[in-house]
Amino acid sequence: MTAAPATACTPPIDTLYIDHHAWLRTWLQRRLGNAADAADLAHEAFLRLILKPASRGFASTLEARAYLRTMAQGMCVNLWRRREIEQAWLDTLAAQPQAYAPSAERQAMVLEALQEIAELLAGLPPRAAQAFLLSAVCGMTAEEVGGELGVSSRMVRKYVAQAMLCCMQARAMQTAGALAHMPAP
Amino acid sequence: MPMETGFVPPPRHGTMPPHDVMERAAQWYALLISGEASAQDRMRWEAWLASHAQHRLAWQYVESVSQRVLAPLRNTPDPQLLAAKVHAVHTRMRSRRRVLAGIGTLVGVGLLGWAGGSHPRLPGLVAGWTADYHTGTGDIRAYTLPDGSRVWLNAASALDADMRDGLRRLALVAGEILVDTAHDARPFVVDTPQGRMRALGTRFTVRREAGRTFLAVYDGAVEIRTAGDAATQVVPAGRQAHFDATHISATAPADAAREAWSRGELIAWDLSLADVVDELRPYHAAHISLTPEIAQRRVFGTFPLRDVDGALAMLADAGSVHVSRPWPWWISIQPRPRRARP
Repeated sequence: MTAAPATACTPPIDTLYIDHHAWLRTWLQRRLGNAADAADLAHEAFLRLILKPASRGFASTLEARAYLRTMAQGMCVNLWRRREIEQAWLDTLAAQPQAYAPSAERQAMVLEALQEIAELLAGLPPRAAQAFLLSAVCGMTAEEVGGELGVSSRMVRKYVAQAMLCCMQARAMQTAGALAHMPAP
Repeated sequence: MPMETGFVPPPRHGTMPPHDVMERAAQWYALLISGEASAQDRMRWEAWLASHAQHRLAWQYVESVSQRVLAPLRNTPDPQLLAAKVHAVHTRMRSRRRVLAGIGTLVGVGLLGWAGGSHPRLPGLVAGWTADYHTGTGDIRAYTLPDGSRVWLNAASALDADMRDGLRRLALVAGEILVDTAHDARPFVVDTPQGRMRALGTRFTVRREAGRTFLAVYDGAVEIRTAGDAATQVVPAGRQAHFDATHISATAPADAAREAWSRGELIAWDLSLADVVDELRPYHAAHISLTPEIAQRRVFGTFPLRDVDGALAMLADAGSVHVSRPWPWWISIQPRPRRARP
């Protein structure tokens, strides 16, 4: 008794789309509770597949779905984070005195920086992220931050270096990703 | 750091300075903004920058983060409030990610807790919820670690990863992993309570079993050092071994088919039915009982791990066994009832 081993090579994108798009949309909708968001993300997932074809082929339906699920999970978290950050920025603006009225362009710039820092710090433990924000954004000294978090200033420096390294690597990867998408000369 | 991005391309060598240079640049940054840097520190930093083009390239990344991301936030009227908001979102998203990853797991554990009671996997699984990477019943996942190494987590497994302090360290909290290490100057180790395995450029499986650790090496070699430093041994490619805190077993030929779980398959080549059922158990929330009189029957075939019901149906079809489901959380495998053949 033997199940035929699944050894198909990478199916073309339209086959992948036909086989998995509806399933992925249902999967996303169950988590997001919103049909429009689910449709958007499912669409984006397949766009990414086209732009960045997986370096390896999918040996089976299960593998393709595992890949899509991992990707979709990350996209859900990103969507939620972006929404929360946007709300946080609106709340902050509302709490500012009337005199502070940044231009639309300046607002967009700050919001983008907020989104980026939130994404860069996503993989870090909360303490390291907080130490970094207090030092690098608020301009507090390591000693002040250490007092706030109840750790030594040496530890704060370690946290800050760890967070900065994480940000640097993410930026380096973005750069490498951008290069990979550039058309060949 | 856990990065569940999964499929981010590894940084290209040539565009990014080596890890230790990037790390040094980040340390300089931390010192320079700490308010504790002396004039001498600044001179040393300048000398470091001047000494190598790679150092200056690494510093460019620091500046890019600082100017593009940090400066716009610093130049707002209330950076403290912004920082607090970002921190609040950060904390919330971490817990939401956990919840997202755990969907479907809670149900499975609830059933196990009820039907299995003393299921040996349970403590590890609960401990797993606080781990960096974890999988639930019936769930196999692939991750890319920040250094580019690939890790597959088998069902009901949990793993902590720590890439700081010049060491790539994984701690296997429960279950089983398959590792494919990326090339990197830092040593790569996997810890279990029984000891430490150090990868010597490689692909290998580690599994936690009751009181001992199982290791199979498919590529390269792995050095085992038991917890008490009592014994060390290098296991070469194609061999496997068990060890506890004091003793390492003789190596045996590695069963290459064991690797198949990372592809969602169980390859049975002359396994006993009891072994096959043991392999399937982590993938199904229900309790699977097997009548002892058929436990030693031999099984050949390839079974889908992510579809245990399908695998059991295949066993029933070909293996002259009877699979029944008296309750939703209980699967029973018995000899097929005798009946006159047509």
